[in-house]
Amino acid sequence: MPALLEAQSVEKSFGGAQALKGAGLSIEVGEVHGLVGANGAGKSTFIKVLAGLVRPDAGDIRISGVPVSIQSPQQATALGLSFIHQELAFVPGMSVIENIMLGVPKKMRLGAVDWQAIGRDVEPLARRVGLTSPMNADVKRLSTAERWLISICRALVRRARLIVMDEPTASLSAAEGERLFRIIEDLSASGVAVLYVSHRLDEILRLCRRVTAFRDGRCVASLEGEALDRHALVEAIVGHPVAEAQMTAATRQVGPVALSVKGLCRLPQVRSVSFDLHAGEVLGLGGLVGSGRSELARLVFGADRPHRGEMTLFGNPFVPRNPAQAVAAGVGLVPEERRAEGLVLGKSVAFNLALGNLSRLVFSRALPLIRPRATRSFALGIIRRLAVKAESADTPIVRLSGGNQQKVLIGRWLERRPRLLILDEPTRGVDIGARSEIHRLVRELAARGMAVLVISSEPDELPELCDRVLVMAEGRIVAELEGESISRGKIVAASYQEPERAAREEESA
Amino acid sequence: MSDTATDQRLSPRSRLMLGTLARYGTIIGLLGMIVAFSILSPRAFPTLGNFTNVLNQASLAMIIAGGLTVAVIVGELDLSIGFAASLHGILVTGLVVSNGLPIPMAVLVVLLLGALIGFVNGFIVTKIKVNSVIATLGVGTILTGLAFAYSAGVPIVAGVPEAFLQLSLGRWLWGIPNNIVFMALVLGFLWLLVERSAVGQEIQAVGGNPTAAYLSGIDVDRIKILGFVISGVCAALTGILLASRLGSGTASAADGYLLTAFAAVFLGSATLRDGEFHVFGTFVGALIIAFGFNGLNIFGAPTFFQYLFQGAILILAVGLSSLGRVIAER
Repeated sequence: MPALLEAQSVEKSFGGAQALKGAGLSIEVGEVHGLVGANGAGKSTFIKVLAGLVRPDAGDIRISGVPVSIQSPQQATALGLSFIHQELAFVPGMSVIENIMLGVPKKMRLGAVDWQAIGRDVEPLARRVGLTSPMNADVKRLSTAERWLISICRALVRRARLIVMDEPTASLSAAEGERLFRIIEDLSASGVAVLYVSHRLDEILRLCRRVTAFRDGRCVASLEGEALDRHALVEAIVGHPVAEAQMTAATRQVGPVALSVKGLCRLPQVRSVSFDLHAGEVLGLGGLVGSGRSELARLVFGADRPHRGEMTLFGNPFVPRNPAQAVAAGVGLVPEERRAEGLVLGKSVAFNLALGNLSRLVFSRALPLIRPRATRSFALGIIRRLAVKAESADTPIVRLSGGNQQKVLIGRWLERRPRLLILDEPTRGVDIGARSEIHRLVRELAARGMAVLVISSEPDELPELCDRVLVMAEGRIVAELEGESISRGKIVAASYQEPERAAREEESA
Repeated sequence: MSDTATDQRLSPRSRLMLGTLARYGTIIGLLGMIVAFSILSPRAFPTLGNFTNVLNQASLAMIIAGGLTVAVIVGELDLSIGFAASLHGILVTGLVVSNGLPIPMAVLVVLLLGALIGFVNGFIVTKIKVNSVIATLGVGTILTGLAFAYSAGVPIVAGVPEAFLQLSLGRWLWGIPNNIVFMALVLGFLWLLVERSAVGQEIQAVGGNPTAAYLSGIDVDRIKILGFVISGVCAALTGILLASRLGSGTASAADGYLLTAFAAVFLGSATLRDGEFHVFGTFVGALIIAFGFNGLNIFGAPTFFQYLFQGAILILAVGLSSLGRVIAER
């Protein structure tokens, strides 16, 4: 029997950069196939080729043995390929069922869409993936996990034979991830293949019997059976054996209180949060997605106004009315969604680095014209220091991989030297190599006296990186872990702490 | 298989060619037009006198389009500029003729009013959060009403002093018309502002990604308001120069500049860059339109044809602009 999908020697170049230099893989019917590779290895481009979003320069793609050329997303759908991207695409304001049926020919009755009949068809699929929210609920109000389930339903309605999932657990909690794994196993048993693209090797190892690794636009390894283990995967991704980075949190020296937060409220996401953050300290904020961590960060950064509570920054009252004031007071933010909230995508690396540093790149206050040469050398300095992989300072930022884009965002604050830096999901979708570089950089900044607040949903990140971890649940801080007691298990356990109990404790206190 | 497949795909070479065509298409088109008109009308068209005349005529459109460029770069549309320019024209004439204000005073007052109108546009868009198309269309309509109210529908013709006419009709060193000098100064300033100044970087960032700009500490509302203010001041200058050139204040004299400015701005975004708005591009865009009109005049094309030309070029301009972006993303 021919493979469900067989792709060979796919090539694609953008401008001068060759993103794919002979990528390929083979997926059997009903198989859960892993795809790994560092950022910039060509995974995303390869997926876009399958989705009909990018046209390859050369290559051979067969579906069930028949050569195909995928010209458009519609054609990909017709071929039985479905894609669930990291950033889930929905029409807000439309209901669950309308989003599931988006672009699918609908049953009609008396000239109108027969939503009842469609509902009867979709209901079993929704039950199968464990989607419990009502069919007429607005997707805006649903959690990320529920949106994932809707995306899977969407694929099933289109009779997908292969569902491509890009970093599916990036914004899911551990429990939600477990549920997704069971659904994937169920899909596989019913003959639907899944291409599972992830940096999380534990998940890959658990779900996939065969794994393809990309490096520098090529397929460098196809592992299965005995040969498939963590060590082999890491080696295939990086190209040489690596030792995991060790953190030396013990050598830290904690300075005076940098940020003090008392009873900060913005209902319903943030409910009376209090904590102190010291200069030179890396403080982690753990918890489930939606527990109020990013919202808390926005309050500190002045992007939202608190309903109640107060803050002090280095002893002075701190009431930022907007991010501009927070920045002026010495606070920096590396936002969660780097493409949507951080980068100006149409511009170069140098432009994005210069943003927020413009005052140091002009001739003088009286003559606020940018010095082009100073801007270049400023950008090149940061590029070199953070080992950003970019051909030049003028390279469009979109041509960089996720990890390198993230470095640019952090680099933006480097010369500004904020006294408090907030990093929201600093290593989401970032490869192992860049991840440890970013971690090292964060520790270095803290060692120089910066106060750092790190928000992360990656279970292993906070124990590796932080001196102290606060865990939030339903808008409250429910646990504080320090030094040796910081562990993945404790963070996860605290994340599920019953909010009622936390509230009671707070009232009695 | 690969044969049939690659046929329909863009090979790297044809992508490069398409990209080049999109970037240089407008400039090639401009040069082609000049060459064609020169061949067809060798005596009337390719003369220094005619070229100066075209640039002189185009200067007013270039000034107003230059201002619009900044508004468009910050990601907003300003539909009030044509109506505003009409009001400014009638107002400056009125201030000079009826109120006897010294000309520099009258000009200053009107320029300040232009800034104020821009500020109001920006305030409505950023603080009251009205879509800029609606906001500026509303403001523009109100301005038209004010223009008619001020002039009672009758053009101010009588008693316009010679010095006011000289504002636009006068010539600089070497006989360069004043209009061209004003235009060069305004576009030069705008180019420096957008491309080389710190505020310009913020202007581009706000247009490129407002959320990212906001979270990097830029006061997005302030920058957007600034874009509208610049657009408003440029509209005022065009209105003043038009009134000076016409020697009268008429309630709807400058309305047509709205379309011309938009066509120039969008043609310009397809010039040298992939669908990105910029001041130099706007200059080229306005030049294309000016030469087009000039050619139509020389060959005696009927009036209706000028509308066909203007409409077609607007659509062509926006088409080229978005095509440039599409090709850049492929």
